[in-house]
This record gives sequence, C-alpha cells and structure tokens, in this order.
Amino acid sequence: MTALLEIQQVVKSFGGVRAVDGAAFEVAAGSITALIGPNGAGKSTLFNCVAGSLRPDAGRIVFAGRRIDRLPTHRIARAGLVRTFQSARALARMTVLDNLLLASIGHPGERLSGLLLRPRAARAHERALRERARELLDLVGLQAHADAYAGTLSGGQRKLLDLARVLMLEPTLVLLDEPMAGVSPRLRVELLDHILALRRERGITFLIIEHDLDFVMQAAEKIVVMNEGRVIAQGDPASVQGDQAVVDAYLGTAAVHEQPAPA
Amino acid sequence: MFSQLVVNGLVTGSVYAIAAVGVSLVYGILRLVNFAYGDMMAFGALVAYGCNGPLHQSMVVAALAGMAATALLALALDVALWKPLRARRAGFMSLFLASIGLALVLRQALLLAAGPQPEAYRVDPYRVFVIGSVRLSEAQTIAVATAAAAIVVVALFLARTTAGRVLRAMADDRTLAAVAGIDVARATRLAWAISGLLAGLAGVLAGLVEYSFTPDFGFQLLLPVFAAVVLGGIGSAYGALAGGLALGLAEELSTWSGFAGGVDPVYKPVVAFVLLALALLLRPQGLFGRARVA
Amino acid sequence: MSTLASAGFWEFVGVVAGIYTILALGLQLQFGFAGLLNFGQVAFMAIGAYTMAILVVKEGWSTWLAAPLGVAAAAVGGLVLGLPTLRLRSDYFAIVTIAFSEIVRYVAMNEDALTGGSQGTIALGPVGQAAQYNGQWAQFQHRMQAWLGLPSADATMLVIVWLAALALLASAWAVLRTPWGRVLRSIREDEDAAASLGKNAFAYKLQALALGAALAGVAGLFYAWQFSYFSPDDFAPLLTFFAWMIVLLGGLGRVFAVPVGAVVFGFIFAGTRFLGFAPFSWFASDQRAYLRLIIIGLVILALVVLRPQGLLGKREEMVLE
Repeated sequence: MTALLEIQQVVKSFGGVRAVDGAAFEVAAGSITALIGPNGAGKSTLFNCVAGSLRPDAGRIVFAGRRIDRLPTHRIARAGLVRTFQSARALARMTVLDNLLLASIGHPGERLSGLLLRPRAARAHERALRERARELLDLVGLQAHADAYAGTLSGGQRKLLDLARVLMLEPTLVLLDEPMAGVSPRLRVELLDHILALRRERGITFLIIEHDLDFVMQAAEKIVVMNEGRVIAQGDPASVQGDQAVVDAYLGTAAVHEQPAPA
Repeated sequence: MFSQLVVNGLVTGSVYAIAAVGVSLVYGILRLVNFAYGDMMAFGALVAYGCNGPLHQSMVVAALAGMAATALLALALDVALWKPLRARRAGFMSLFLASIGLALVLRQALLLAAGPQPEAYRVDPYRVFVIGSVRLSEAQTIAVATAAAAIVVVALFLARTTAGRVLRAMADDRTLAAVAGIDVARATRLAWAISGLLAGLAGVLAGLVEYSFTPDFGFQLLLPVFAAVVLGGIGSAYGALAGGLALGLAEELSTWSGFAGGVDPVYKPVVAFVLLALALLLRPQGLFGRARVA
Repeated sequence: MSTLASAGFWEFVGVVAGIYTILALGLQLQFGFAGLLNFGQVAFMAIGAYTMAILVVKEGWSTWLAAPLGVAAAAVGGLVLGLPTLRLRSDYFAIVTIAFSEIVRYVAMNEDALTGGSQGTIALGPVGQAAQYNGQWAQFQHRMQAWLGLPSADATMLVIVWLAALALLASAWAVLRTPWGRVLRSIREDEDAAASLGKNAFAYKLQALALGAALAGVAGLFYAWQFSYFSPDDFAPLLTFFAWMIVLLGGLGRVFAVPVGAVVFGFIFAGTRFLGFAPFSWFASDQRAYLRLIIIGLVILALVVLRPQGLLGKREEMVLE
C-alpha cells in the first residue's frame, strides 16, 4: 500500500518546550491508523500541524504527494484532508442542517461573485447539497434533529454530526481527535461501525487519536505510539502491545493518563 | 532641543506608565479592557482639584485625596457592576461594552458635577527650573518626581511583596493561581484598589502636566495609555511601565527635527496609534510580552 | 415644550434614526454576523462624507459620481484597515479600530488643505468663501418634495433616507440568507472549525468589514446632505458607540432588529430633551445634554447586564459573550 500521508521529522516547540520532537511515520492509503500515547505526548500538537492549525518549526508533511506543512487549514481541507476536533466543534448556534450545509467545497453560493453572476448554479448546488445533507443525517440517525440548534445535541450526537459534516466534504483522509471521548457506550458501537463501513465502502483513510484502547485494538490495523514528542513504536496492534518502550511510557505516566485530556 | 524633548517625553511617558500599569493589572486578573479608565483618571484629577482649589489644600493632600477617592470608586464599581458580570461569566465583549457604557456615564456625570470649563491646580505656571539646556516647569517637575517615586514603589510592590507576587501570578495563569490556594476575590479587590490609586495619581499628574484640563480629558489620555499597555504586552505590569515610558519618548522625539525633519506636533497622538499598530503587527504578543504557549 | 408637538422636530429625529440605521446595519453585519469587534465604524462614515464633499467642491465632480466614489472609498478604507489587522486577537483588533478612527479624525482635523481642517467643510474651497457641496443634492431634494407633495425638506429627507435604509436592510437580509451568509455565521461561531471545513475565514471577515464600511459610507453621505456642513468633530468615537448601542438594543444577528434599535435609540436620545419633570427639571438645559448621555450609558450597561440578546434577538442564536 502506498503512503497517503507522510510525517517527516516534524518539530514544533512552544517557548522552549519541544511538544513534537522529530516525529515521523506514514499513513497508508485506505488504512485506519491510530495515534496513541500518554497525555502530553504531542499527539494533538502533531494533529494541529497536519491540519494546518499550527505551522511546524521543522520537518515536512506530505499529503497525496504534495507538501502541505506551509498551507493554511482551509486549503488543506479543500485538498481532501479534513479533521474533527477533540471537543466536537459543532457550531452550536446554527442548526444541525446548516452545520452540514457548510461543508461544501467550491459552492458558488458561498461567494458574493457567484451569487451575483451565477445565481442559477448557486441554487442548483445548494439543492444538491441539501439532498446530500439529508442522506447523511439519515446515515448517522440525526434526521429528527435537522432543524434543532446544534447546541442542543448530546455529546455523542455532536460527534456523529461532526463525522457527518466531515463526510459531506468527501475527504480522502479524515483526522479524528478522540472520537470516543464523552460518547455513550451505545453510540460508541455505532460510531465504530460507521468508521469501518466508510473505510470499506468509500475507501476513506482514517488517522485517529484515541485513548480507548479497546477501540484502537478493534479498529486500527496500524498503531503509532508517541511519547515526549517522538514516535517510540509503530506497527500492528499485536506487536505494539508487546513493545517494552510502550509499556514503560504508559506505566511511567499512568497516573496522568487516567485524567481526561485538557482541551 | 533634543534633550528637552527627551525630558518632555519622560514627563508624558511617566504619566502613561502609571496609568498603563493600572489598566494592565486589572486586565491581567479580570481580562477586562477598561474603557472607563480615562474617566477614572479624570475623576481623580477633579477630586484633587476640588481639594486644591476651592478647599485650599496643598497639592500633596489633594493628590492623596484624589487617589483615595478613585480607589473607592473602583471598588464600588467592582461590587455594583463587575462582580455581577463575572457571576454571569461575561466574556470579553460584554465587559468591554460595559466599560464603554460606564465611561459615558462617568464622563457625563463629571461634566454635570464640575461643568465644562477648564480647571487648573494652584501651581505657578511661570516658575521654571533650568538644568543645562533643559527647562522644566514647576508642574512638570512635581509630576516627573512623583511619577518616578510611584514607579519605584509599584515595581517594588510587584517584585517584593506577597500581594504583588500574587497579582503577577494571577495575571500569568488564573486557574493555576486559584488551584494554588490564592484567594481570588481578595486579589481582585486588591487589583481594583491599586488600579484606582494609580488612576487617581495618573489623573492628577496629567492635570498638572497639561496645566489646565476639562472633566472629559480622560478619553484623550485613554488611547495612548492603551497603546502603552499593548506595547508592553497586555497584562504584563513591568511591560506596561516600559511601554508607557517608551511611548511618551516616542511621541516627543517624533517631533525632533533631526528625525526626518520631525513630525508636525499636531500628529503626536497619531504617532502613538501608528506605533501601536506597528507593534501589534510585528510582535502580536507585545514588545515586552512573552509568546503565549498554545 | 412646544417642540414636543412640532412635526418638524420629529421629522428630524426620524431622519437621524434612518441615518443611524444604515450606520448600525454595517456594524450588525460586521459584529452580529461575522463577530468582528469594530469600534471604528464612524471613521468609514467620515471617509464617505469627506470623499464626496472634496470631490464635489475641489474637483467639481457631479454629486452623482462623487457619492458612489465616497462609498467605494469607505469600503477601501475597510480593506486597508482589515488586511493587516484582521489576524489580530479580538481585543487587540477592538483597540486598533478605535485608534484607526481617531487617526482618521486627526488627519481630517489637521490636513487643512485637503479637508478644511477643524473649521470643517466650509473651508474646503478658496479662502474667504464658504464652500458648499450639496447644491445638486438640494435640487434633487426639491424636485422630490414637489413630486411627492411633501410639506418640508425634512419630510422629504425622511422619506428618502428611510427608502434607502429599507432597500439596504432588504439587501442585507437577502444576502445573509444565502450560503455566503451561512459561512459568515460559521466564522462568527468558530473560526477554526470553519477553516477545517475549507472556509477562508480571513477573506470572509475582510468582505464583512468592507461591506459594513461601505454602509457606513452611505450613512456618511446622508449625514453630509442632511446637515449641509460637517467638521471632524462630527465623527468622534461617541457615534460608533451609539451605533453599538443600536445594534445591542435591537438584538444581535438580526437584520431587521437594527431599525427597531435605531428608532428606540432616537426616542431615548431626542425624548430626553423633554424631561421637564423632577429630577430632570432641577438641571439647566445645557446640563440635560449630559444627563441624556448618562441615560444612554446606563442603557448600554443595562443591556449588557440584563438583556445581552437585545430586544428582538434570540438567545439561542447570538448573545454577547
């Protein structure tokens, strides 16, 4: 399998602290790759670098053969690499449907010039978009909430909304930041099924940060373990589980690890 | 000419510096950009005028009265306005807008109480000290000496006393400070009291330096003071001191003919704004501030 | 008290409320829909008014060419302000916008050759000659008055200003309902989330700032025509705060809340002239001007503390934070 995403010796520091310190790994096309590690290992910082929210101090990030570490977030998203946020950033004061309708690339109605010069194309695009949004709402089971403000959804429902919104963009690579955090056990199963089905049916690649190791072992075929800004182990679930460096990293910070991650 | 400008710059700059520390302390702790600060300064200046003029008190007594009154005003406003807003978890926009409303109320109340005519303290405008090529009026001398003393006191307070360290710790990280067992409510009152004292002092000194002032002169002072705070790195008390002095110097020196012929003095306030804009664009964390850890 | 009954006075109040509606609509677009803390709105009003007046008096342009250019200049002012500053944190942005509006006012006050300086537009022309920029406008207003059969110039202005305001409100309402408006609201809600969905937040904020500035420019034109003379002091930061109060009064994130806010504001502002009863009667009439602004300040405070969603706003959709 070819690498869809290549992380090459990425470094990012804040005021002298190297949050990410030369991390390097690859995400194969069509795979589900999990990124794990104790809190403060640099996972979220690395995510932010990949998604373009932060600019790495050194190293390269290559997505589908193209360097993206100097691109702004919105350009990366348009290229097909889309992220979710740890605390599902549903736009609380917009309706669920509007949340989904936002996720569209190249919508002529989203430009003033498009509205003026191509009103018909804008309307057609909007119609198609609404249809697709309804389909995805059906898929994730939120159709009854279409006109509710997203702020009224439960934590788990927001994660589903977040996932559906990402899917609207028809991405090739999805970064999920702790998709299982704050999700009820019933919805967890549902979410996992969605992710597996999406990979199977649409060939979407996933890179997932997750603390729920059961989920990681079930879903991922590759696990990358980070500690103190570096990748300390990577491979299939079985080999990583037996890796001494991984055991040390987790035991050494076990007390911290039990705490929920700060936002 | 140049040394005169430097001295003038230090005089203006020390007034800015004192006010900037007052703004910065409250910002550091409450995340409040206090738009009413200029009018609190004017309040202090007017109370002092009342003592100095009609009541014939000495300038020192008058200044102390102005400072005390402004501190009381600041504490009263905290109870009446800011505390309820904090209880509602009001964000930056609410606080800023509330301070704008408050500024309007304060300014107009001062105009109502004192009238629109300019007032001046009882100092001799013609008494001038000459040191080498530099001339200083009596008012300027009082202002710069008091300001220098006040700056030293404030710096020592922040560096050496427990209360000062608490305030700086809270400005650095509120939640951490609360976890570390700091009495946040008490520290907030302390910050308001000191901010009020400094507002009163800065107001009196500004009144002295400008010789005559009207009850609404606070607003003209406010923007350069904000500029000084931002220049120093918003929330950093030492930065505010340095920012105030730097801004005062820059305003005066910009008119120096050796500097590209000098800027027309009417544009002195614009110099402050341009510096503010430049500083923000080049170093968004402030000239003396540290980069924020994400 | 006789003025209370006079139609002329209330026509005047209505004209001013219409002008403020347009000014505050720009702010609603910038803040209520894009989340921009613009505290320099009055600067764009000044740019619009001055550009028009200068082109008419100094360059001899037709009003009908100079006016759109004034609006364009205000929009360009918005771009110039926004390009370097929109990436700043919101508190810094707020301070910089106030500073910007004061810079514009200082320049207008001190560049006598360009603006007439502190004497205002009277000094735009040659020395010793009172300059006028509104000849063509006055003619147009007369023709409209005759055509509509209205009793006074103010009544005519009332109709014209409110027609313009309603047209602009309707256009703003229409454009904000489009996908473009939806993106704008998403940026107000969460810029990072919007960017992760492929939206160029900076470009949208810049558009909102420039469009809002253009609306302020239109308000500046009507202000200039209504008063047939203006000076830099007419564009003090106080006016920006009035616009904020109007937006807050009406309600955030709702286009048609703006005229409601402006009319209520007009009543508070003008109505307080007639506070002939105690305790207001204890004060002399010049002192009541201060009282009036105190009341305005208290209303702002009350709104922020008690009703952050405004009179018509929806709490679930947009509150002041």
